[in-house]
Parts: sequence; structure tokens; C-alpha cells
Amino acid sequence: MSTASVPRYRILFVDDEARITRALRALFRDHDVWTTNDPREAAKLAHEHDVDVVVCDQRMPQMLGQDCLREIRHLAPRTMRILLTGYADLKAVLGSVNEGEVFRFVNKPWDNKELRDTVAQAAEIARDAPPITESPLSAAEHETARAQVGVLVIEDDVAVQQRLREILSPYYHVRFANTPERALQILEQHETGVVISETEVGTADMTSLLKALKQYHPHIATVVITERANAQLAMDLINEGQVYRMLLKPVRMGSCRLSIDSAIGRYWQLKQAPSAVRRFATARTARANLAIARLGDSILSRIRTIPSRLFQIARFS
Amino acid sequence: MLYAFSLFLIALSAAGGFALAHYLAERRRDELARRLRTAEAELRTQQQSQAQVIHTTKLASLGQMVAGVAHEINTPLGFVKSNCEVIGDLLGEYEHAIGALVADVDALLGSDPAHAETARARLAETKAEVARNTAFADAKDLLVDSLEGIHTIANLVANLKGFARVDRDGLDTIDVNDSIKSALTVVAHQLRDRVRVNLRLSQLPKIRCMPSQINQVFLNLLSNAAQAIPGNGTIAIESREHAGQVEISFADNGTGIADDMLPRIFDPFFTTKAVGEGTGLGLSIVHKIVKSHGGSIRVRTAVGQGTTFTVSLPIDAKAAALLPEQVAA
Repeated sequence: MSTASVPRYRILFVDDEARITRALRALFRDHDVWTTNDPREAAKLAHEHDVDVVVCDQRMPQMLGQDCLREIRHLAPRTMRILLTGYADLKAVLGSVNEGEVFRFVNKPWDNKELRDTVAQAAEIARDAPPITESPLSAAEHETARAQVGVLVIEDDVAVQQRLREILSPYYHVRFANTPERALQILEQHETGVVISETEVGTADMTSLLKALKQYHPHIATVVITERANAQLAMDLINEGQVYRMLLKPVRMGSCRLSIDSAIGRYWQLKQAPSAVRRFATARTARANLAIARLGDSILSRIRTIPSRLFQIARFS
Repeated sequence: MLYAFSLFLIALSAAGGFALAHYLAERRRDELARRLRTAEAELRTQQQSQAQVIHTTKLASLGQMVAGVAHEINTPLGFVKSNCEVIGDLLGEYEHAIGALVADVDALLGSDPAHAETARARLAETKAEVARNTAFADAKDLLVDSLEGIHTIANLVANLKGFARVDRDGLDTIDVNDSIKSALTVVAHQLRDRVRVNLRLSQLPKIRCMPSQINQVFLNLLSNAAQAIPGNGTIAIESREHAGQVEISFADNGTGIADDMLPRIFDPFFTTKAVGEGTGLGLSIVHKIVKSHGGSIRVRTAVGQGTTFTVSLPIDAKAAALLPEQVAA
């Protein structure tokens, strides 16, 4: 193993199985490693030792990985979060997306090189990109954000469109698109902070579009609302698309409002602290790149040239 | 003449009446035959769809089993796979250190007296370095873990084979406690996070049964018990010998079964689960299997407190009662 080029990172491994944490400690022996087999200690450890990355198991008898990661998110916001899963059920994956805001999912059995690369990437981001504050926007800030930033809904089901209009229109500039083409037009013409989308619209696969959008405009928050949910799709949308929230249909008013509020907040914070954007970098796997390439050059070049509008606010403040 | 004519009329009307009666009877028979055919067709469709649903439940429990075992295997597989690579790296590092030591020994052996002191000093330094090097000890530790992991995987696979009984079907003489343990391995992933299992197994005489079916009974009762517990809870499993029977009970502290539901729980297609979540066949299959083994099943339940299913199986069952075709599942 060549260790010369990689700096020593601070890594915490959480797994109820001691043989897993011992294996990971050995694999990362060229870094500063802490391990625990009790997830209830994890947040305290992450905070005390100011770790760059935490790699956490999903199913542990004392606590679920998603709850452990949520605690870490609050207590040690600088720490990047990776979830290690042996068997992915949808509920667990959605919980880790929405509660844990994980950076990556890694499957057991993991590939050593891939895991080392993923951890190194996460650690480097943790050191370079400051975390954005967890505190919600002030009322005045939220007012400004809502006035300036639009929400785009990509959905061809009229009933769902209507439902979202009822929930969101009183609070946001909501625009609707029922084709990828229309969605791109809206993104080009209006500052859009949040994109809400189905995974498929008509016959078009929207996941590749969402992944491409995040590659070039990582500050835009994406919320996937779907009825075609499976765990693998959700994991891919995190790893390759850094989806911000994933909700299942039928859409419930409370959770939908909350998600969009917090997504607008995230966009607004990133807009003012663009250096934090790297924390939401997507994995550019060969598979993801292939899927994105299939969108075609004209769509891709349009996605690339959507104005990023990142520094507009900086001029005024 | 008049007489003859009236006789003719009578004969005619009699013939007509007979013909009419005959005609009506014929029509009724046709109608009955038609209804019979419809009923038969309906029955066939229903049998087919039931067979299909039973097949689907089998597939569903197979899927559940595969998912469970995949999860159980992926953890040991995870560290064994990683360790193998890391052990290779560690041995490489150690080999490198030993190589340096050997080079220094060679240098000392080949050195002239004038340089022997320097060579000796360098050798001592390298030797101290090798002594500090933990790569070899680390590799050995990882090997211990890995071997344990491989044993875990081997046990899981042996359990799975025992559970599915793909290698032998039909009647066999088994220890029911082993079946309980196999079923527990398979549902382990459903229980792990939230359900504690208290196992109180007594020594049992072996019984003659269809092991794959008995496994299915235990799997169904266990996974029902797990599903009856909304949050965290406990399942107590006991086995004992009692009056020529082997008794196995599964007691959960879950939601319990409401009085109006209780009489129907063994009915085929009766389910309280959401559409798509249960076929309503689990307990009816359990009932059928236990009955075909000459056994019985008892339920004790209290809403809010939990449910206990107790299965009794005769130790000395008549083999004739266990012909495979008697159980559809």
C-alpha cells in the first residue's frame, strides 16, 4: 500500500461487530482511527476527537445507523457521514437520506480500494469545505429567499401537480414541468433553488437528469417524490445524485412543507457559502457517467450552462 | 266412434304431455349440466389461484430467507474479504523488513574486520526495527478473526441447508430444537434490531415428521410474532416433552389478537395486514401442516399484552398420516 500521497485523516468506525471494526482499523492503519462497538458513544467520540469521517453500520442492536448519524450531524457537523450496509431495506435507506443526510452508502462486503478512496475523498472535503450552519434561516432571510428563489416541480401526473400546488403555492414561486425539455427551460429562465421530481416522467428517466444537474449545480437541492421506490435506486440517488430528501407518494402536506422549507434553507445557505458546496459532491462512477452521457450532448450542454447565480447575493451584502 | 275419438284425443294429449314433460326434464338436465360445468370451471380457477398464492407465499418466504441470510453472511464476508487483502499487505511489509535484516546479516558476514563494527551496529538497529514492526502480529490477529468469520459463514450455510432440506425431502426423524434454531437464523435480520429472543429449549426425543414443513411452521410463527411487536419487544420460545407429545410455544409481547378476529385466524386468505403485505395464508398453512402431522395448535392472546402459539406434535406419529400429498404447501 502506498501511503506517501495521502495525509493522515481522523476516522471513526462504528459497528456492533468487533471483527468489522478491527478489520477496518487494520485497513486504515495509516490513519488516526477510533472505533466503537456501541453507537451510543459515537457522537461523543466524533465530537471529542474532531474526526473527519465517520463510517457507520446500519443495523445495530442498540441503535440504527441513521439515528447515530443524525446525532453526529448535530454534535459534529464538520464530520462527513458514510453508511455501511449489509442489507438495504428501503425504510432504512430513506431514513439515512432524510435524517442522516449521508454522503455515501457503501455495501458490505466492501471493496477495500473503493472504501479507502471514498473515505479519503470525504475526509479531504471535511477539512477543506466548512460545514454550513444547522440553524434554520431567520424569518426575514426566509422571506427574502422565498421571494427570490423558485421551486420547480417535474411531474406529469395532474393530480399530484394539483396536490403540490395546494401545498406549496401559498409559500413559494412554484413552476411545473411535465417534460425534461420544459424543466430545462424553467431552470434557464428562473433562479431555482429546489427541484422536486418523480424518478420517471412519461417514459423519461429523470434520475440521470437529476444526477447531471447535481454534478454541475450541486447547490440546487433536489427532492425526489416517488411511488417507484426501491432501496438500490435510493442509494444510487444519494451516491451519484446527492438527493436532499426522498419522499414516498402519496405526498403528505406536513412532511412535504418541512422538506421544501429546509431545502430552500439549504440552497440559500449554500448560495452565501459556496465553498461548502463540495460537501455535496456526487460520486462520478463509470456507471453514473454512462447514464448521464445517455442524456445526449444537447441536454448536457444546456444543463452545464444553466446560470449558477451563486454570487448574486454577495454583491448586495 | 266417439269413444275411439276421445281415446285418440287422450292418447294424443298424453303423448303431448309426455313430450312436454320430457322436454322440460331435458331442459332442466341441460341447465344442471351447464351449472355443473360452470361450478367445475370456477372450482378449477379457484384451485389454480389458490395453488398460485401458495406458490407465491413459498416464494415470498424464500425471498425473506435469502434476504435474511444475505445480510447475515455479508457481515463476516465483509471483514474476511478485507482482512485477506490487508494480511497480504502486512506480510509484504514484514517481508520487506526481514529482507532488510537479511541484507544486514549478509553485510556483516561478508565485512572485513575494519567495517565489522559498523555492520554490527546497523544490524542491531535493523533488528530493533523488526522487533518494533507489528505487521506480522497484526496479520496473525486478522487471521484469527477471518477464520472465525469463515466458521460463521459455514454455520449459516449449514443451517440454511438444514432449513431448506433441498438434499432430502420427505419423512425424517429430527430434533425439533434444531428446527427452531434454523428458523431463528433465517428471521434473525427481522429481529436483530428490536426483538429479544428468550430461548428455553428442553431436551427432546426425536420425532418423525416432514422437516421442511415443520421448519415452515416455525418460520411462519416466528415472523408473525416479530410482526406483532410494533417497537421493541420479546419473543419467548419454549420446547418441552409432555404426555407423549413435543410442545413448542412462541410467546410474543406484541399487540395481541382481537376477540372478533380470533375465530378466523386459521382461515385461508384471512389477514389483518395491509394489501400486499400478507397473503392471509401463513397461519392456514401452519394449521394444515400441524394437522397432517397428527398434532394440534393452541392460541392464547390478550390485546395489548401479546399472543402465545403452542404447537403440539405427537412423538410417535403414524407415518401414514404424513403422506406428502396431504399438505398442499
